Amino acid sequence: MDIRLQIKSLLSEAELYRSQGLFLEAKDKYHAASAMIHKVDKIKNKESLLKAISAKIQSLEKKEEKVKTGPASPELSEKGQDLIKNLFGENDLQKAIALAKFGQFERAIVELTPLLKDDVYRLEAGKNIIRCKLAIGSVDDAVDQYNRWDSAELFTADQLASIRKYLQSRLDQKGIEKPLPVPVGESVDNNTISNSGGIEFSMPEPEAELLDINSIGITFTSGAQKGKMVEFDVNFQSGDMLSLIISKRDKGLIDDLKDGDKLEEIQFYSPIAMFKGTAVIANKIQIDSGPKQGDFCLDLKVTST
Amino acid sequence: MAIFNLKKREIECKIVYYGPGRCGKTTNLEYIFKSYKKQVTGEMVSINTEGDRTLFFDFLPMGLGKIKGCDIRVQLYTVPGQIKYSSTRKLVLRGVDGIIFVADSLEVRREKNMTSLKDLQANLKEYGKSIFRVPLIIQHNKRDLADEGIPLMSVEQMDRDLNRQLKVPSFPGSAIKGTGVGVTLKACLMETLKSLQKEFKWAK
Ligand SMILES: Nc1nc2c(ncn2[C@@H]2O[C@H](COP(=O)(O)OP(=O)(O)OP(=O)(O)O)[C@@H](O)[C@H]2O)c(=O)[nH]1
Ligand SMILES: [Mg+2]
Repeated sequence: MDIRLQIKSLLSEAELYRSQGLFLEAKDKYHAASAMIHKVDKIKNKESLLKAISAKIQSLEKKEEKVKTGPASPELSEKGQDLIKNLFGENDLQKAIALAKFGQFERAIVELTPLLKDDVYRLEAGKNIIRCKLAIGSVDDAVDQYNRWDSAELFTADQLASIRKYLQSRLDQKGIEKPLPVPVGESVDNNTISNSGGIEFSMPEPEAELLDINSIGITFTSGAQKGKMVEFDVNFQSGDMLSLIISKRDKGLIDDLKDGDKLEEIQFYSPIAMFKGTAVIANKIQIDSGPKQGDFCLDLKVTST
Repeated sequence: MAIFNLKKREIECKIVYYGPGRCGKTTNLEYIFKSYKKQVTGEMVSINTEGDRTLFFDFLPMGLGKIKGCDIRVQLYTVPGQIKYSSTRKLVLRGVDGIIFVADSLEVRREKNMTSLKDLQANLKEYGKSIFRVPLIIQHNKRDLADEGIPLMSVEQMDRDLNRQLKVPSFPGSAIKGTGVGVTLKACLMETLKSLQKEFKWAK
């Protein structure tokens, strides 16, 4: 091919890639064109052509930089946030956590706060509030929040301990020396930390033991539900023990399950990862008083993931 | 995962457009939004970043009317193609029922297509799904550029690259002109509904 035509075709390729936002590819073609132009002697306006190309390359580099440093999770409009809530969460806790997963931490806190009044969601809401505050970068805020809870009567001692262990481990990880007060009678032993899964957007933490599980999908291998996968929300988690509250309406789903049964096919959904594993039914009871009377509480011990 | 409401006889399923950055996922959705007014049931929402690149996802709700007595609602999503948004891609893929893999026909994007397909396989695996079993359609996009003398891969080569083992239906397309957009979506919906039918057996 005539070298002029080759140059022309390289330039039009480069131009197309630029228009499609393929900056690297565009730059490559401009460089190739300019190398070719250098080699040819008899070319009109050689210098000005080369100058024009190098200006194009520079402008591409600027655009590339902008894309590279584009925000990972900017604050969305309220409408955008509402959409995320509704598309990525089924219950109120999941909706709030979805906001956090997409980096909408401030709004997530707004949505998590009322859930502290709910017996079922309280602990998870509390932990996630702490996480969001840490993700925004306000360590002091997170610690203040914990201290306020510590002196109020919102959480049970066990729940507070669980929140404290989570927060302490995160502070330790960040290399922040800030020992949280440990109530008398409790050991400072940190080995039992089981809840250090993080939900910061695009910066998942290394996992320590079992992550926080939001929900699980059980595939039944026998009984009436054989072959089906049913998803359940996890209402409480303590280490590798998961508690599910199952409405009396859904009794049929769990009729075939009894204490000691092995569940060989479970999909675990945590805020930062999904994985498969197995569990054993540690306890199945029908709740006989309170607002959840008649519902079932199913405790699962995770045996492998 | 599809939501199947037995009482209301209603199915809501999720179709995700996957593929490398700049391959034309958003353009597919834009064309559908413009051209299928009767089926589109709400606004198209796009959450973008610098240079119109998808940041979180695009979303478009559709209704297909009744199929065998069941109301079918479809949610279309695109993922962000840029490598660095891998955690978002995974989030958006959660609960997917059918996938359209949009491949870029530009020769210079050959590697990117393959990397993205591998990324899809890995992400599906983390949700316990196999790329060989999930309803999947491939679209070879940007075919219109052949007329402008831009180096494109042949459809055969792209199928060799991407579809040799998968052997899923594949269609040439030009999202910007709208060619192939409808058939691709239709094929994906058919595969998806077939697989949901197996799972839920709603049409007896
Ligand atoms: N010529 C041509 N250009 C196309 C076609 N489809 C998309 N484009 C162009 O390719 C560029 C990228 O298209 P998008 O739809 O934004 O790509 P995307 O896959 O959503 O990109 P990300 O959001 O970054 O993952 C735009 O400039 C489009 O106009 C096509 O069929 N033909
Ligand atoms: Mg896009």
